[in-house]
Amino acid sequence: MLLYTIKRLLALIPTLLAASVLVFLFIHLIPGDPAAILLGDTATPEDVAALTREMGLDEPIWKQYALWLGNVLQGDLGTSVFFREPVLSVIGDGAETSILLATMTMFWIVLFGIPIGILSATKHGTWVDQMTSGGAMLFASVPTFWLGLYLILIFSVGLGWFPSSGFPSISDDGGLTNLRYLILPSLTLAAPNAALIIRLVRASMLDVSREDHVRTARAKGLHPAKVAIKHVFRNALIAVAAAFGFTFAALVSEAVVTETVFSLPGIGRLVVQSILRRDYPVIQGVILVIVVLYMIINLLVDLAYARLDPRVSLK
Amino acid sequence: MNMLRTFLAMFRGRKLATIGLIWLCIVGLAAIAAPLIAPFDPLEIDPVERLSEPGLPYLFGTDHFGRDSFSRAIYGARMAVIIGLGSVIVALVTGGLVGMLSAYFTRLGHVLMRGIDVLMAFPALLLALVLMTLLERSVTNTIIVIGIVYATTTARILFGMTLKLKGETFVDAAICSGAGHGSILFRHILPNLISPLLVQASFIFAFAQLQAAALDFLGLGLPPEVPSWGNMLSEERIYVTRAPWLLIFPGALIILSVFSMNLVGDAMRDSIDPRFKDDIAGV
Amino acid sequence: MALLEVKDLEIAVAAGGALLPVVRGVSFSVDENETLGIVGESGCGKSLTSLAIMGLLEGSQLRLTGGSISFDGRELNSLSPNERRAIMGDQMAMIFQEPMTSLNPVYRIGDQIVETIRQHRDMSKRQASDRAVELLDLVRIPEPARRIDSFPHQMSGGQRQRVMIAMALACDPKLLIADEPTTALDVTVQKEVLDLMADLQTRMGTAIVLISHDLGVIAETCDKVAVMYRGKIVEAASAAALFANISHPYTRGLLNSIPVVDHDVEWLEAIPGRVPTIDETLPGCAFHPRCSMAEIRCSAEDPAPHDVATGHTVRCHFAGKGTV
Repeated sequence: MLLYTIKRLLALIPTLLAASVLVFLFIHLIPGDPAAILLGDTATPEDVAALTREMGLDEPIWKQYALWLGNVLQGDLGTSVFFREPVLSVIGDGAETSILLATMTMFWIVLFGIPIGILSATKHGTWVDQMTSGGAMLFASVPTFWLGLYLILIFSVGLGWFPSSGFPSISDDGGLTNLRYLILPSLTLAAPNAALIIRLVRASMLDVSREDHVRTARAKGLHPAKVAIKHVFRNALIAVAAAFGFTFAALVSEAVVTETVFSLPGIGRLVVQSILRRDYPVIQGVILVIVVLYMIINLLVDLAYARLDPRVSLK
Repeated sequence: MNMLRTFLAMFRGRKLATIGLIWLCIVGLAAIAAPLIAPFDPLEIDPVERLSEPGLPYLFGTDHFGRDSFSRAIYGARMAVIIGLGSVIVALVTGGLVGMLSAYFTRLGHVLMRGIDVLMAFPALLLALVLMTLLERSVTNTIIVIGIVYATTTARILFGMTLKLKGETFVDAAICSGAGHGSILFRHILPNLISPLLVQASFIFAFAQLQAAALDFLGLGLPPEVPSWGNMLSEERIYVTRAPWLLIFPGALIILSVFSMNLVGDAMRDSIDPRFKDDIAGV
Repeated sequence: MALLEVKDLEIAVAAGGALLPVVRGVSFSVDENETLGIVGESGCGKSLTSLAIMGLLEGSQLRLTGGSISFDGRELNSLSPNERRAIMGDQMAMIFQEPMTSLNPVYRIGDQIVETIRQHRDMSKRQASDRAVELLDLVRIPEPARRIDSFPHQMSGGQRQRVMIAMALACDPKLLIADEPTTALDVTVQKEVLDLMADLQTRMGTAIVLISHDLGVIAETCDKVAVMYRGKIVEAASAAALFANISHPYTRGLLNSIPVVDHDVEWLEAIPGRVPTIDETLPGCAFHPRCSMAEIRCSAEDPAPHDVATGHTVRCHFAGKGTV
C-alpha cells in the first residue's frame, strides 16, 4: 500500500510538471510585458525594470521557468498586485472558508445523495423511483447561482432564518455559530452534486443487482434490505467512489460561483475577483494550488477504490 | 426518414422525455423565428417602462433599462442554441479527432492523451475562467472556451470507444482488404460511434448552457449587451427583491432546457450499444 | 409423502402487458437420498422451474401462475416471505451455473459462507468460521483454514463451484438444487464436482434436483429423470427405465447428440431446428416441427401423457407403439 502510494506520487510528477508549464505560460500568454502585468497598473517603469531583472525576464524562457519553479517549490508563489502580499498568504486567508464550505457540502452530499440513491434503486420502476431520479435530474439542471439567489430570497430575506452573505472567520472570533453563514451556501453547492450522486448510486446499484452473486445472496435467505445494502450497495460503492474525483472538480467549479453569490471570503471568490482586478499572480497561484489538490484527491480516490475492490491489486 | 423513426422510437413509453423533446423543439423554433415572435426590440431601452410587472404588453415584464424581458428571452433562446450547438461542434470535432487518432495511432496517442490528462487536471469551470481571462468577452470566444473544456472528456470517451472497436473483426477485415488508415477510421469505425456521439452531444449541450450561464453570471461570458438567459439573470440580480419575476423567467427557461436536454440524452443513452453505455458520463 | 412435490406448476413471463406461459403443468417429486435429473435444451423452462422451487422468481418479469410446491409437508406458495426465507439457504439450497460470477467479488469466501450459517443458525462468528473451514474441507479444498481468507477472484472456476457447494451445504439442507453445476467447468473438473455431489448425498441423505442440458451427466448421476421440452415434461421415468426404453423422439434426439467415446461414430446427430420462442403459438405437439416421426395428427392434437410402463410417462402419440 505504502509502496503503491509512493509509486503513484512519483507518477504524478510528469503530469504536475506539464500542468505547471501551462500555469507558468499563462502569464506569458497575456498580451503585454509580463513584468508590467505582474506589478499591475500602478507600477513605475523602474519597478518594471527591477522585476524584469529579478525574474530573469530577459533570459531564455526555460530559464525563467526553472527560476519560477524553484521559487514555487520553496513556497514562493509571487506577490499579489492588489494586496501587496505574498500570494500564498492571500490564498491561505481564503482557505478556512473554502475548506469549511467544502466539508459541509460533502456532508450534505453524502447525507442526501446516498440514502436517496439507495431508495431510488430499491424502488426501481415505482413512482418513488420516478420522483427521486427525475427530481435528481431536475436539480442537476439548475444553475448554481440561480438556486443560491432564491435560497437567499426565501430563507434570508423572506424568513430571516440565515444570514444572506459573508462569513466571519471562526478562528478569529471563535463561535461555531458562525457556521450558520455557510448553511445556505453549502446547500446550494450540494444540490447539483448530490443529484449526480443519487443518479450514480441508483444506476450502479441497478447494474449490480443484475449480477449473479446477488441471486446467490437472495438464495441464502437474506432479508431484501440486507441484500440491498450488504451486497448490492457495497459493490455499487466501487463505481460511486471512482466518481468522487469528478465530484471534487465539480465542487471547485461551482464553489467559484457559490462563493460569489454569497460573498464568501473563500478561494473561489478570490479567483473571480482576481480576474476582474487583473491580479494575475494570484490567479496563477490559485490555479496551481487547485491543480495539485485535485491530483492528490484523485490519488486518494484511487487508493480508496483499491480498498473497496479486492480485485484491484496495488502494484 | 428511417433515422427519424428510430429516433422517435426511443421516446416510446417515456412521457417526460417526450415532453422534453417537445420543449426543445419549441426553443429551436423560437431561436429560428426570434425576430418574428419577439414583440419588441430586445435592445430597445425605455426608462419610463422600467421594472414593469409581467402582463400586457410586456409578458415577462421589463428590466431596469425598460427592455422587454419576453423579447430578450426569445432572443436568449437563439443565443442558447448558438452556444449549445457551437460548443458541441467544437468539443466533438477537436475532442473526437484527438480521441480517435490517439486510439488508432498508438504512439501519437501516448503523447496526445497525456496532454488531455494535463488539461483534465484543471476543473472545468476553472479552465474556462482562465481561458476567458486571456480572451475578450465575445460569443465566439465563449463557444471556443466551453467547447475546449468538453473536448477533453470527449477525447477520453472516444479514445476508449475507438480502442474497443479497433479490436473488432470488421476492422481486421477492412485492413485485410487493403483499406487505408483514413478509410478505416472514418468509413468503418466512425459510423459505429455516431449514436454514442449523439448522446454525448446532448449532454454537452446541456452542460454548456449551465457553464455559459455561470460565465455570464461571473461577468466573464458573453458581452453584457447580448440578450442571453445568463446575462438576463446576471444583470437583474440586484433587483431580485423588487422584481423577482426578472429572475424567474430566464431561470425557468434555463432549467427547463437543460432538464429537457438531459432527459433526451438519457432516453437516447438507454437505446445505444450497451458496450458504450458506461463510457458516456451524463447526468 | 415425498420431500418435494411439485404439482401442475405454471410459470408465465410478463411481456408487454400479456402473460406468456413458459412452464406448463410440470409435476414431479423427489425423496430423501434421491436425485432427480431435469434435462432439456436451453429455454425449455428447467431453470425457471428450479428458481420457482427455490423462491427466486420474485422481482423479475416472471410470475408463478399456478400449481403447488410442497416441501417437507408444507405448501411453499402459502408461506409468507419471511417464512419462505427461513427455508431458503437452510433446508433448501441452490448451486448456480456460473461459478465465476455467483460469488460476491468483494467479500472473502469464508465470510460468505459464514453469512449463510449465521443467517440460519445461532452461532458465534468463531464457531461459524470453524464450520466454514469444515465445509471447505468437506468439498475437498486444500488448506481450508488458509483458503477461507481468499477472495473469489483468487480461485479457479472449479474451486469456486466447490465453495458454492460448501455454502449450499452450510446448514445441512434436505434439498439441494443444482442448476447446470458443471456446465461452465472443464470436463475433468466436471467429473470431480459430480462425484463430490454424489458422495455428499450418500453421506448426508440429501435430496438433489440436478438441472442439465447434458443427458450424459444425467445418466451418470440421477435416480429419476424428467425430460422437458417447451415448458412441459415430455418423458419421465426412473433413470434405469428411461435409458432402457427411450420412448420420446426428443429424448432420443438428445441422446444421439452425445458423443460416445468407445464407439466409432461417423457423425453426431443434432436435433434439427430450434426450440420455438415463447411468443410463437403452436397447435398440436410442441415438438412436431422438429420431429422426424411427425404426422398430420401431431400438428393438430397435443398428446396427453400416458404410461408406457409403470412409472414411465410419455407425451407422444407414438410412444409404446414401436421404437423411436
